[in-house]
Amino acid sequence: MNLLFFAALIGYFAAAVLQFAGSSMKKEGLRKTARVLLAVSFGLHTAFSVWRGIEARRVPLANQFEFASGFAWATVIIGFVLYRRLKQEWVMTAAMPMAFLILSYAAFQPMEIKDIMPALRSTWFVLHIGSAAFSYAAFAIAGGLGVSYLAQLKKGRSEDDVKMKQMDYMGYRLICLGFLLLTVVIFSGAIWAEQAWSSWWSWDPKETWALITWIFYAVYLHQRMRLKWQGRRMAWLAIIALILVIFTFAGVNLLLPGLHSYAV
Amino acid sequence: MKKVFRFFRSMTFGMILLIIVMLLSLAGSLIPQQDSTMRYVRAYGTQTAQIMTAAGVTDIFHTWYFYALEILLCLNLTLCSIVRFPKTRRAGREWLARAEAAEADRPLTAEQREKLLAWLTARHYRAREDADGKTFSRNTAGFYGSFLTHLSILLILLFGSLVLMTPSVQDLTVMPGGTLTLEDGTTVTCESFHIQDDTGKLDYASVLLAGSADGRHQKRQEIRVNEPLRFGEYKIYQQTYGTAGRVGITNHTNGAEEILFLTDPCFLSIDGQNGVYFDALYPGFIQDAEGNYTLMTSTSGSYEHPVYAVRSIADGMSTSVLAFPDEEIRLGDISFTFLAPAEYPGLRIKRVSSWLFGGLYFSFGLMVAALYLCFFAVPVYVRVRENGCAVLSPKNQQGLLLELEALMHEKEDET
Repeated sequence: MNLLFFAALIGYFAAAVLQFAGSSMKKEGLRKTARVLLAVSFGLHTAFSVWRGIEARRVPLANQFEFASGFAWATVIIGFVLYRRLKQEWVMTAAMPMAFLILSYAAFQPMEIKDIMPALRSTWFVLHIGSAAFSYAAFAIAGGLGVSYLAQLKKGRSEDDVKMKQMDYMGYRLICLGFLLLTVVIFSGAIWAEQAWSSWWSWDPKETWALITWIFYAVYLHQRMRLKWQGRRMAWLAIIALILVIFTFAGVNLLLPGLHSYAV
Repeated sequence: MKKVFRFFRSMTFGMILLIIVMLLSLAGSLIPQQDSTMRYVRAYGTQTAQIMTAAGVTDIFHTWYFYALEILLCLNLTLCSIVRFPKTRRAGREWLARAEAAEADRPLTAEQREKLLAWLTARHYRAREDADGKTFSRNTAGFYGSFLTHLSILLILLFGSLVLMTPSVQDLTVMPGGTLTLEDGTTVTCESFHIQDDTGKLDYASVLLAGSADGRHQKRQEIRVNEPLRFGEYKIYQQTYGTAGRVGITNHTNGAEEILFLTDPCFLSIDGQNGVYFDALYPGFIQDAEGNYTLMTSTSGSYEHPVYAVRSIADGMSTSVLAFPDEEIRLGDISFTFLAPAEYPGLRIKRVSSWLFGGLYFSFGLMVAALYLCFFAVPVYVRVRENGCAVLSPKNQQGLLLELEALMHEKEDET
């Protein structure tokens, strides 16, 4: 069944390459093929996740591999929803490589199905980790849009261009969504920690980095809403913030042992 | 003075505080916290370790400057909320008046106007009609989003600090069948404990019976990680576990029998000279071909082949022996029968006001709702006149403008 996972991974890669080529050469045919390929790969990815969930008898989000897979899955969902709403190619250009990169990271993690540890058997599990997957996915696409935005600027496109404004605005909206979900992640984690370990906040590295990420995005949002920062500066901030998200997601588990060490 | 006040309530000051909290948190996550002094000396050298300890970076989240930052943040949020509240209350009325007075800046044909009206109605905009046209509004609750977000952060800091600082926490162990009596007379009896479920999976669970001091209220519950027992102001957690040896002592002279739990090394004797010295209990052993034993020192589950390391002491002579469950050592009229070990829970008993928790969880909910209002319930007014329309909003309405633009293009395509 792992074949489904690797087929999805290859599919995401091919879709990202075709999307990039289609956008560079302005060929709608290639882009359409990329979207179809992404949809098929997403189907395979979903089938793999469902199989794994049935096999493990739980929601497959309990370790680094499963979370990364869920993170990539959420990235594709958000990408599709946005594309369906906006019908803008740049959404897919940002989302597809992100989904591929995240799933590639998953491919390097141990894949065997293990019993869930007692601390993870909680009703808060799905809300806490599911919100984290979608929050990170929103931040990942926002970061991808930041990269696309800067690349377009380098190509000579003006910040006043309608498409650039849309890209900038959508990056901001995704960060709003991600921020709301990250808040849910932190709060549900706090309530869960109080149930499991008797303290709602222990300055565990994962908690601390989630707070650091949250504060960084809070600063981003204040700069945007009150000081009306837009464009290039916001794109840079979205990229830096994404680095923080990646560290919170992967770096903390690898480098800073703590109460969340089981997530490796 | 006015300038100082203005600075303390300013967003700039709030941002500066948040960035400092972020940087200190970063340092706190990278430098191991609350470790032993020796570890810091080994890792950073004596001088650096001394400087680090003096500066508090080895326990950064409990330093006076970290608390000061939190207090300043509370002050900033309070001042900014107080100053902003009257403005927030007036905002709805002011924006409505502004919208009603707004001139159309987007020309519309009669057909486009009809389509726009239908579009706004379909999206549940609230309409107000006057002699010059119609004013549509939506998400006016969104004016309170920012205020409520700041208020909820303030409440979280307040309740969160109280919840972290006020509880009395005790870590206690209790043997199965044993009872703990707490400071106010509440009793907690451990009826049973297991570390593996029926299928052999690790599952640390105790069946507890809690009773009030006057005996009028009782509650029985199986507790495990994620499922603490709530009883009055107490919350009892399955915190840890241990395995204790058990020995049955029989005095053959008078027939007295007693079973004792063995957790720490101890000397079991009646006369203080002859008896059995309990050294340790091991979870298992390996016996080689020559009959030598290698003792296992750790296991993750139940002790499968437990063995007691004891010394039998009689007439000044000490003999080390390994005793297996159900094995008896007899010294004169006293016999010591080593029994199968007992697993026992370590309980964390926390006493905290449920009102404080209620306040904290309410603040969490308030903040999520407030952020939703902030981001996804942006107040918007659309003034539709005979000749066109105007869109007004206190926040960026690029999303709506893009949608309207698409609506216009749709019309052009159709025409």
